[in-house]
Amino acid sequence: MIRALSLPLAALLLAGAVVAQAAGVRTAPMLANTCAGCHGTNGVSAGEFMPSIAGLDKGYLYTVMSDYKSGLRPSTIMGRIMKGYTEQEIWAISGFYSVQPWTPAERQPKAQPKAKLVRTGKEIHDRLCETCHNDGGREQDDESPRLAGQWAGYTRYTLTQCRSQGERCRPAKMGTRVKGLSDAQIEALASFYESEK
Amino acid sequence: MSGFTRRTFIQASGTLAAATALGLSGPSRGAASKARVVVVGGGYGGTIAAKYIQMADPDIQVTLIEKDATYISCPLSNEVLSGERDLDSLTFSYRGLAKRGINVVQDEVTGIDPDKRVVKGKAKGGYPYDKLVVSPGIAFRWDAIRGMSEEAAKTIPHAWKAGPQTLLLKKQLSAMRNGGVCIIVAPPNPFRCPPGPYERAAQIALYLKTHKPRSKVLVLDAKDAFSKQALFIEGWKRNYGDMIEWVPAAAGGAIEAIDPKNRVLTGAVEEFKGDVVNLIPAQKAAALAESVGLTDASGWCPVNQQTFESTLKKDIHVIGDAAIAGAMPKSGYAANTQAKVCAAAIVAALNGQASPEPSYVNTCYSIIAPDYGISVAGVYQLKEGKIVEVPGAGGLSPANADAATRAIEVQFALGWFRNITADMFT
Repeated sequence: MIRALSLPLAALLLAGAVVAQAAGVRTAPMLANTCAGCHGTNGVSAGEFMPSIAGLDKGYLYTVMSDYKSGLRPSTIMGRIMKGYTEQEIWAISGFYSVQPWTPAERQPKAQPKAKLVRTGKEIHDRLCETCHNDGGREQDDESPRLAGQWAGYTRYTLTQCRSQGERCRPAKMGTRVKGLSDAQIEALASFYESEK
Repeated sequence: MSGFTRRTFIQASGTLAAATALGLSGPSRGAASKARVVVVGGGYGGTIAAKYIQMADPDIQVTLIEKDATYISCPLSNEVLSGERDLDSLTFSYRGLAKRGINVVQDEVTGIDPDKRVVKGKAKGGYPYDKLVVSPGIAFRWDAIRGMSEEAAKTIPHAWKAGPQTLLLKKQLSAMRNGGVCIIVAPPNPFRCPPGPYERAAQIALYLKTHKPRSKVLVLDAKDAFSKQALFIEGWKRNYGDMIEWVPAAAGGAIEAIDPKNRVLTGAVEEFKGDVVNLIPAQKAAALAESVGLTDASGWCPVNQQTFESTLKKDIHVIGDAAIAGAMPKSGYAANTQAKVCAAAIVAALNGQASPEPSYVNTCYSIIAPDYGISVAGVYQLKEGKIVEVPGAGGLSPANADAATRAIEVQFALGWFRNITADMFT
């Protein structure tokens, strides 16, 4: 419920947002730069299990960070960290990263996945994922993150997590789609997305 | 959020306005442009301070002075002892920072004149500054244990600054007999990297388990408690059985004297003899901080915890392990976020603006075995001039977590390293 209310409200706030910085309020760069030690300068990750967050949809970032905070989205460390921020601060951090330029993962040539694995991944994507993650995972909205060019390690981990959550995976339709995938299929999907720049 | 008040409205929209302004460039700049900032020390704190000042206001001339041509990371250097990695994988050049337009100078700082605002170097007489950032790291209190000295560290390694000392300890472990005892002497608080000695015990055990399985690791501690203690004890047991033994101060673990030649340590209750002795001495701020008058009676540097400006010397900011930073531990990630707070405060001051409200984070991983990692995190804010933890946030990995959780935390530890070093050097 929190999210359902706050997203439009926050959008309204943005529309009329030329108000002087109130004392005691932490700026978006001040808050967001503390993330860069793990997610890379301006959110461009050097890999492999930390995702790049630069240029992701603002609503999506807000949802994920709020879900970490509330525990709806399971995590090892992100929940512990997000509990340190208010909803407004999470919205500010989301705004900061959403306007940074997206930069695809750069893997050393010798560590590239096999072409066959990528092809298998594309087949699975076309069959199960393309309806929401359009254009090979390049398009995004507040529910569907950009996947093209994301680090495979992160995508693999996240899909595996979602599969083990089943119906609790958010959004629920993700849980349904991922349910029947094998480890090998998840590996293929993750490799496909990373190869899509 | 349904109870949005007028106050939260102003807070949220103010934050949004700042987000779009991206940093601190504003109409008030100009008069203060081309100010000179010098940063001394190119480690976890100094590199970030230099880079984030340069990023926030490219008109400020930033000079980074570092005595070494390359940097060797202390975080993950315990993995050199187990053989999981080599020093090359921990070594970084300053070329990326130079490419950003930071004036990177290899020189040894011999002194600072706070009145004339000049840093003195061995290679070059003077580096004038408007604001100075000092991120000098630590020095050892050799006299805390009788018989210990810088000279003795040539055979009794501390390995608490990564490099030749790390390799010396590794060499001694390689030469040790199967069935030997490796003693780690853990220092009193406060010290650099609070979980470090205990991660080291695990990484040494990892090596011994494979190569010299009848050997022992004995941790003799000046304290009765340590960072991530329950998680370490659980992880030691699970991965190495009884190979690692920890002796707290109360049980006679506090060491008073050493005979370096015979590797005999004198505790309050008994003597210990090691085949290899890794003595991590008690610590204080680096010698430069002390010689410039930046330290207090504690041996560390008191600072304004909002700006990291020294409370003893104007226009000199101290960050990282050397600084007294409230509730924050002396860790690489702490230095990283302190540097960013310090950078924002300096850029604001040089542009005639007030110091921004700070935000700090610590994230610290320990690798107990190749598939067994643990972590601690902290989120911090400023309250009445002191850095304090945000209540309810942060904390430790769960106890008795499943194998998959422990394994993925190793992957996150490696990702931590890739990203934090990229934040520093690219």
